[in-house]
Amino acid sequence: MKVVGMDVGSTTVKAILVEDGLIRWQDYQRHNTRQAETVLAFLLRMEAESGLAPGADLILFTGSGSGFIHPLVGGKFVQEVVAVAAAVEKFHPEVSFVSEIGGEDMKTIFFAPSGAGRSKQVYMQSACSGGTGTFIEKTARKLQIAPDALAEMTYQGRTLHKISSKCGIFAEADANTLVKGGVPVEEIIASLFEAVVHQNLATLTKGNTPSPEVLLLGGPNLFFKGLQEAWRYHLERIWAERRVSVPDKDPGSLVRVPADALYYASIGCVEIGGTGAGTGALYQGTDKLRWWIGEGQHAQKAKEGTSGLVSNDGELARFLERYAPDGRRRTPGAKPEQGEGGSVPTGQPALIGCDFGSTTAKAVVLAPDKRLLFSGYASSKGNPIEDARDLFRQIHRAGFRNIGAVALTGYGKDLLKDIVGADVGIVETVAHARAALHVFPDADVICDVGGCDVKVMILRQGTVADFRLNSQCSSGNGAFLQGVAERYGVPLESYAEHAFAAKSVPALAMGCGVFLQSDIVNQQRKGWSADEIMASLAAVLPLNVWVYACQLQNLRAVGRKFVLQGGTHLNLAVVKAQVDFITGKVPDAEIVIHPYSGEAGAIGAALCALDAWQAGAPSRFRGFEAIERLNYKTTTDDRTTCHWCSCNCKRTFIDVEVPHSAGRPWSRVPAQAGWARVITGNSCPKGLVEDAGEMRLVKARMEEAKREYPNVGDMVRAQAFRRVKATV
Amino acid sequence: MTALGIDPRHVVFSGDTTEEQGRQWGRGRGVVDCCYPVKCMSGHYGELIFGQKRKIDILLSPMIRSLPSVLNGHVAKSLACPRVMAAPENIKAGFMKERDVFAEAGIRHVAPLVSLAEPPLAAKELHLALRDVLPGLRPAETRKAVEAGFAALADFGDSIRARSREVLAWCARGERPCILVLARPYHMDPGIGHEIEVDLQAYGYPILWGQYLPIDPDLMNWLFGDDITSEVLRSPLDIRDVWPSSYSGNTNEILWAAKVGARLPWVTCVIRLTSYECGMDQPTFTPVQQIVERSGTLFFSFQDLDATKPAGSVKIRVETIAYYLERASADIIRTKKERMTAPCPLVEAASRGKLQSSASEA
Repeated sequence: MKVVGMDVGSTTVKAILVEDGLIRWQDYQRHNTRQAETVLAFLLRMEAESGLAPGADLILFTGSGSGFIHPLVGGKFVQEVVAVAAAVEKFHPEVSFVSEIGGEDMKTIFFAPSGAGRSKQVYMQSACSGGTGTFIEKTARKLQIAPDALAEMTYQGRTLHKISSKCGIFAEADANTLVKGGVPVEEIIASLFEAVVHQNLATLTKGNTPSPEVLLLGGPNLFFKGLQEAWRYHLERIWAERRVSVPDKDPGSLVRVPADALYYASIGCVEIGGTGAGTGALYQGTDKLRWWIGEGQHAQKAKEGTSGLVSNDGELARFLERYAPDGRRRTPGAKPEQGEGGSVPTGQPALIGCDFGSTTAKAVVLAPDKRLLFSGYASSKGNPIEDARDLFRQIHRAGFRNIGAVALTGYGKDLLKDIVGADVGIVETVAHARAALHVFPDADVICDVGGCDVKVMILRQGTVADFRLNSQCSSGNGAFLQGVAERYGVPLESYAEHAFAAKSVPALAMGCGVFLQSDIVNQQRKGWSADEIMASLAAVLPLNVWVYACQLQNLRAVGRKFVLQGGTHLNLAVVKAQVDFITGKVPDAEIVIHPYSGEAGAIGAALCALDAWQAGAPSRFRGFEAIERLNYKTTTDDRTTCHWCSCNCKRTFIDVEVPHSAGRPWSRVPAQAGWARVITGNSCPKGLVEDAGEMRLVKARMEEAKREYPNVGDMVRAQAFRRVKATV
Repeated sequence: MTALGIDPRHVVFSGDTTEEQGRQWGRGRGVVDCCYPVKCMSGHYGELIFGQKRKIDILLSPMIRSLPSVLNGHVAKSLACPRVMAAPENIKAGFMKERDVFAEAGIRHVAPLVSLAEPPLAAKELHLALRDVLPGLRPAETRKAVEAGFAALADFGDSIRARSREVLAWCARGERPCILVLARPYHMDPGIGHEIEVDLQAYGYPILWGQYLPIDPDLMNWLFGDDITSEVLRSPLDIRDVWPSSYSGNTNEILWAAKVGARLPWVTCVIRLTSYECGMDQPTFTPVQQIVERSGTLFFSFQDLDATKPAGSVKIRVETIAYYLERASADIIRTKKERMTAPCPLVEAASRGKLQSSASEA
């Protein structure tokens, strides 16, 4: 009798066929999400090449993709950790730690002696891409490294850089930053291996020490030489630190990667099948599987799908009537409105608000009666001075001369405030709240979904009482939608039209953006069309925004009037999904879109500028000509490199001639009095502080404030741990 | 310790919590607990075991079951958080799982259950735990040392409360605003509370902590006199009006301090700090917020604090708070002052008279 072990994973199918204790057939293939087809091809080959016979032989399945397949061929399902453990116990009784890394999951198994046998402690994670094979491959693809070259890249002796080990999309962003900073790809890949081992050791071992001997299994562990080196390096270090007794053997043999590391789950299936537990595992041939591939999966598709974003034309008409009464189906990417037009009443000044974000800079001009006269934007060129120049040039060209006040918000506000002579620098939460409350004074919640970030602001007492910012995970932002639309060749302007055309949509899973990408491929393969997938993506966005990224489960508790703003809400498909999601949670919710969705931050700033003008102080604005003539010089060399962490960002110091500036005579790149410095190219706020010398100045200023305004907590800390004499 | 004859120079404390401490000394000693103030103890243990110039002999890590409290009236119990109480055993396990690190280092791990709300019981518990490591220790000696400990704690509390009063008086004299932090005591540790209040202090606001608000009778009468006259409360240190399930010491104090913050005119903003998944704090979120906000005082909370300081989001939040504080403080002080009927003892030379009801119920 022959026994087949078939492992249908997230990226590959692996199978072996054993007869009389000997492996007669084995293979693995990437399935490119065509799992059933790959399994069928394997079975047909096994029948033809090794005589696998329906009704006579046994077949056991394991792996995340085998759930729907095994009933179709009569096979039995074995949980993958159980399968791997069975194989390890049989062939490696001396092993006490196993790491198996798969395409989209990672598992560790600890074996410990227990009574007569061995006990197993299993940890597995499959919810997030951090620490998995996809995590490495995604970034390698971006860096255009061929799979063969990737397999040969090394870890030992390479300089390592900090790469987020938590999320594949952020790791990719980190890698991009490193590439821009001139870091060689070899070092980036070594850093990825480091991140994967770190993620496995830090989160998956739950405080257990992996002790020798160690077995590394799964594709990434087998194929990536550098990953093996990283494991060896870290394990040997832990053993030395923890004084783990290491068997007197060749150190290389203590961490082993068997040549058939890919097949352990399949081998385990055969082991389990061969021990008589194979009842119910009789192979029944490929007929049902063929039927499923040809017809069944399409019926399944219809059954699985949920209804589209709109169920009928009437519903769509009512929605458009409410949210796009002017008949325009606005979509992201559309050029921001040019304002309501009009000019400033004679003798009255214009008020400027600018929002300097990380990717774009926006400006608006308001009249003192709060009419929006102009809006413009510039995509960031990496030099905030140039971005500012660009924006102010646009305003100047639009004919504005008499400026009452200027307010800045966004990441660039601190950098540019003195340079342009702004009257107010306003934090972005306040700017967004001002803009929303101006139009909707009774707003409870603002949900701002931009291209790269998601912000939710909860208002109480007219203040931003709480806000959520997605900083750990890229899930839920608009760039992802844009990426998918681009892939389908659909212009963003027509995203909503396409999405509304879908009558039923696949159910995409909320969560990790990396897995969402592969889920899309999977759904596409089942026959879902571009329109249907785009609709589904819009439908899942609110879940990602509210639940996954912002961790707000209870929407009812935050209020009932929701304001949607940010560029992504120009897409009416997203708005429809948001409206359905929010009203599902808060039936009496009132959901409104900010009339200037994409420019809300700049409008809020302009309203603050209006406050400043009304307060009567003369504006500090340096004037359009002065900004146009700004004299600056940039420095990028070893002296400007940031050393606050191991990222070593190659910063640029931009010194701008600004009368009355104090200069930086103490700096390694000294700036004379009359010159102000803007630091760019840093990847985190820490890099805005030049070096330890400046940090001392900052600290000294803080200490002074602390002396004047005491903190009772400081007194507690100082006194509680002070040595005192006993009073008895 | 000193009263037991131990040279104070022989008592060392682990340092402030830092991520580095956790990485260097606590990594891989993992605890299956989502509470960071519990998890970070691995780093503290590691620092004491491996990081001292002179090896320590005893690692004393009491499992504090109950806490002393100044509150009275309807206060059922003053228990410590059970998770934090159990932490010493939990953390110890991480150092004994595969090898007994304590035995290897020649260190005794002493983790007595201590009921600080019941001093006589605390003395017994400590005697039982310490007699093995301090041979010849007598019960009477332990009792005396425990008394010395409570006296030191009382002095400590009094001196800090006096400083808080000075801060309030300074605010009252100049109509200046201050910020009240409502948090658990461990949030004063820079590695757990991430010094969020320090960032606000830099904007020019003194910082008070709920645990150490002044409780002088004159001030208490000024704040709570009406409630006592109308018999809503039996004592100014009572929380029956807001928190019926008063069994947890630190929780009770947070609720009480919220009431004080809501009444004190110069507290124009209350900051709530709470750590990730804190089950003790969760039920108090809404009551505390409502107590504070209904008085017109600004309220902001920093929830889900964990090992890493979310520096970017803290910066935005702090700037947001500073903006509203600057705009609203003067109005808040005025409105809250208008509600007070009697002259303020912080500025008036009023005597620090007796509380309207006796605090002896404690």
